[in-house]
Amino acid sequence: MFSRRDFFRNMSATALVASAVNPLLSWATDAQIAIPGKEDLIVRSYRFYDLETPVEYFRAWLTPAEHFFVRNHMHEPSTIDPAQWKLSIGGEVEKPYTLTLAELSRLETHSVVNTLECAGNGRAFQNPKVPGVQWQKGAVSTGRFSGPRLHDLLQRAGVKSTGKHVMFRGLDEVPGKVPPFIRSVPIEKGMDSDTLVATHLNGAVLPKHNGFPARALTPGWIGAASCKWLTEIKVLEKEFEGNFMSPGYRMPNQPVKPGETVKPEDTHPVTALNVKSLISSPQDGSTSRSPNLHIQGVAWAGESDVTRVDVSTDGGNTWHTAELGKEHAHYAWRLFSYPWKAPKSGDYTIVSRATDSQGRTQPATPVWNPSGYLNNAIDQVKIHVQT
Amino acid sequence: MYKLSVAVSLFVVAFVSTLAWAQSASSPELPAGPVQAKATTACTECHDARIIVQQRLSKAAWTKEVDKMTKWGALVDPQDRDALIDYLSENFSVDKPEYVPERSRSSAAKKPTR
Repeated sequence: MFSRRDFFRNMSATALVASAVNPLLSWATDAQIAIPGKEDLIVRSYRFYDLETPVEYFRAWLTPAEHFFVRNHMHEPSTIDPAQWKLSIGGEVEKPYTLTLAELSRLETHSVVNTLECAGNGRAFQNPKVPGVQWQKGAVSTGRFSGPRLHDLLQRAGVKSTGKHVMFRGLDEVPGKVPPFIRSVPIEKGMDSDTLVATHLNGAVLPKHNGFPARALTPGWIGAASCKWLTEIKVLEKEFEGNFMSPGYRMPNQPVKPGETVKPEDTHPVTALNVKSLISSPQDGSTSRSPNLHIQGVAWAGESDVTRVDVSTDGGNTWHTAELGKEHAHYAWRLFSYPWKAPKSGDYTIVSRATDSQGRTQPATPVWNPSGYLNNAIDQVKIHVQT
Repeated sequence: MYKLSVAVSLFVVAFVSTLAWAQSASSPELPAGPVQAKATTACTECHDARIIVQQRLSKAAWTKEVDKMTKWGALVDPQDRDALIDYLSENFSVDKPEYVPERSRSSAAKKPTR
């Protein structure tokens, strides 16, 4: 019997010989990887999928589904039969019930344009480095999510006064003894009129990689609060106890020194996103043959609104106010632009910094924490102008 | 005879190099080393090697990762634990150059095998 393990052992032996012959070849990176429905994304992981959107796709307000980032904690459900799929609503409710996809799709639909960002976006820039998917800039995308309000589903079940949190369970397939990916949000966020059980993205059925046939959509919050391949909603008396609530997805209560260990009791769950901006044009490392540049980017602030974006073309010494795009929705990023003429040929560092309606702005460098969450340091790109 | 052996050597090098390139298109291999095979078996049962080769961590951080993954089902013989930690912290230490990932194609012909 030739087992999966034997296969890996044989592969390893082959690779050892191969890398001894030419170690550089084993690090070749020009390959493209077939992932149906996902085009030109940076493959941080294939099994399971963690796919980052290159920043050049952030020049449009809505990110097309094929360029929408993917963060999977474990394997996607191997098969989902829409005819068999069911969503149960239970726990601390008067009348637990179950919905089929056909029943769910007959409910009143609401749409929310939301900037969805992984809590670990920007982790790669932490110093010292921390373990986890080494996301650089693009574990974030913006889409129009549509589906019934979670509020309506919960109201139909009748939430008891003991119900304080809403738990989401997906159909993620768990490898080994890894704890299941289950998380909860406080009942106030669950009952918010913008929190959805989303079935559509940008007017089309949710792609499988983004949670088909239904996902929670907890707007303005970290992506992990928007559980994919949803199959169970359960109202709980207290926060769900599991790895992905603690120690996962928690931040230190107080600032910590880089590299410092933090006790679990000195942490809190990561919820809403920070104020942040990214430059989508020009591209980092590019050369412009023209002195006239159209600096563009996106800025978002979780549950708050972006009120201004400042751009610097001299590495942050002097700042200029960028123009914000007309497209605007609560929880969605704003496009920004700043036309600039380089005074002469040379190297330039372009920096962007957003400010929000709470008066928050971006720090100059990443605020270190043990899991590398919510890095919202100012963005910068280095370019060369040759005229 | 000499020409023949050179030709054979070139063929072997070309063949093995092609093999290495083909494998890199699917999943980067864990680097050669005394526990390469055991690391491949323990780690890639659940996830591909990319998630490992992109890390740049201290030995203390690798120790935490190995112990966490063992708790989560990675089959690591207790006798191999220290060697596995040494292997990972030597190959994927903070001073190593950044790993450069591939990009996806929604309809590319080349499909990873694992």
